Amino acid sequence: MHHLKVTRGALAVYTALFILFLYGPFVVMGILSFQKGPEGGPQFPILEWSTFWYSHIFGFAPPSRIAPLPIGQALTRSLTLAFATMVVSTILGTLTAQAFRTKFRGSGVVFYLVVLGMMVPGVLLGLGMALVADQLGVARNWWSTAFVLHVVYTFPFAFLVMLAIFNRFDQSVEEAAWALGVPPGRTFRKVTFPMIFPGVLSAMLFAFTLSYDEFPRTLFTGGPNVTMPLAIYGTFAVEIHPNLFAFGVLTTLFSFALLTVYGVLMGASVRRARLRAQGVQEDIA
Amino acid sequence: MDATAAASPSAYAAPAPRESFWRRNRHYLLLAPGVIWMTLFLIAPLAMMVYVSFWTQTTFAISPTLTTRSWEMFLSSQTYLDALLRTLRLWLTVLALTFVIGYPTALFIGQFVRNKTTQTVLLVACVIPFWTSFLIRVIAWRPMLGREGAINIVLMRLGLIDEPIAVLLFTELSVIIGMVQIYVVFMVGPVAFMLSRIDESLIEASRDLGASAWTIFRRVIFPLSLPGVVVGAIFVSVMVLGEFATASALSGRQVNLLGNIIVTQVGSLRWALAAVVGVVLTGVMVVVIAALLSLVNLRREL
Repeated sequence: MHHLKVTRGALAVYTALFILFLYGPFVVMGILSFQKGPEGGPQFPILEWSTFWYSHIFGFAPPSRIAPLPIGQALTRSLTLAFATMVVSTILGTLTAQAFRTKFRGSGVVFYLVVLGMMVPGVLLGLGMALVADQLGVARNWWSTAFVLHVVYTFPFAFLVMLAIFNRFDQSVEEAAWALGVPPGRTFRKVTFPMIFPGVLSAMLFAFTLSYDEFPRTLFTGGPNVTMPLAIYGTFAVEIHPNLFAFGVLTTLFSFALLTVYGVLMGASVRRARLRAQGVQEDIA
Repeated sequence: MDATAAASPSAYAAPAPRESFWRRNRHYLLLAPGVIWMTLFLIAPLAMMVYVSFWTQTTFAISPTLTTRSWEMFLSSQTYLDALLRTLRLWLTVLALTFVIGYPTALFIGQFVRNKTTQTVLLVACVIPFWTSFLIRVIAWRPMLGREGAINIVLMRLGLIDEPIAVLLFTELSVIIGMVQIYVVFMVGPVAFMLSRIDESLIEASRDLGASAWTIFRRVIFPLSLPGVVVGAIFVSVMVLGEFATASALSGRQVNLLGNIIVTQVGSLRWALAAVVGVVLTGVMVVVIAALLSLVNLRREL
């Protein structure tokens, strides 16, 4: 027993170090985003603390030789793309997972066909899609060739999430609704959907974040109008400046906001379910 | 007895006539959109890539005259074969390191933290870095590793070194460090998940039977966590094998992986050669994933 306590302590210390390893670069990035501008570079020492690079991002900084990050339109494109990808892959994922609730021949093939979408490296898919588009004479654009690949990538995640949800799903509730004469559409809205909603939300979250940050699949298929990750990649080719770090800090904060929204929605859904369960119990009593 | 056994399967095979066409073929209709999408936008591009790898490459274009020229070029070029070996070496190194570094953390989260809330908090803490753009996470390693980077500054302040360590940045080592940090969470997650699902009574039973902590780990806990390790290894392998951004950003374009070669070739419009490298990379992936999948049945673990 004493042995186990020592192991536990050692592992706790190790985990703390591990998390430090994960966060180290962020801390450094956060510090350097307050570097003096425009002279200060993306490295130590900090010449002077300033918020120059933050105002530089929003275009408030006095003009200098450093071009502003080309983010305005790129950000809109990325968010639009992520939203469309989220909607389509959640629908596809739910439909396919729904089909998997009954046993059918060839389910193994379909399963691996879908899962293949998240296993093929993005650069290969991007290359293949660019070749296809080239031969068909289709112009490559973020909303066409890149979009379909984003769905190929995120649909498997949505599918797996929904499959896991349906596996833990009590089918008799649905059957009871049908037996009571509730039409299938209404059953789905009133019974099935509320039960799978947490799963749908997770699938949407997966799809949105994966698409928003997706880079290798977009590189060859995104066409002339860049998305956010492509815009960032473009700055790597030239010199990098602390404005990239400031932008990193801002996007992290944005992500936190998104995560909070997700948490609130999830919490509300759980609470509502609990209230409803209470209501039912009171009705019975 | 015989009659019922014979009757029941046929009852499944021939649905009652009142069942509508829609009911009977419901799952095919549900499957169709997803399957069509994947066939058009996943299978077709990959098939096209294989096909184009046999096309004739001229200076700025490709023509559909079949040839093995690009393949000969790949197989006879030391640069490309080196890149293949480097990709495999880097993949194995990163995979091994993500396992060695990630497993103890997963063990702590999955087995030693019994409180569900603390477990979730720790896992979320591991995932939060993913909310920053991948490329910015990569580039954040530069001020960490450089000659005047944070690590060198800290080590010098502590008096552990006199001279800054130069090999930390723009080497294969920096690429490895960056990739391990970025991908290790994909190992921690699935392993911690499998570990947290282990039935407590199994461990108690082995303890009651007099097994030492080490034996319990070796004979009970580790084997049960193996599916998680395999899933994690698949994630890490898929991502590392297809990598190019980390390599080019942290090695100053000194470390060329197969992915980097594809990007370069596409950049100079040499599609056929890019396709050859793509096919080689696909081959590597298929072997790796098939080997990993043979260790665990992915569908059963859901």
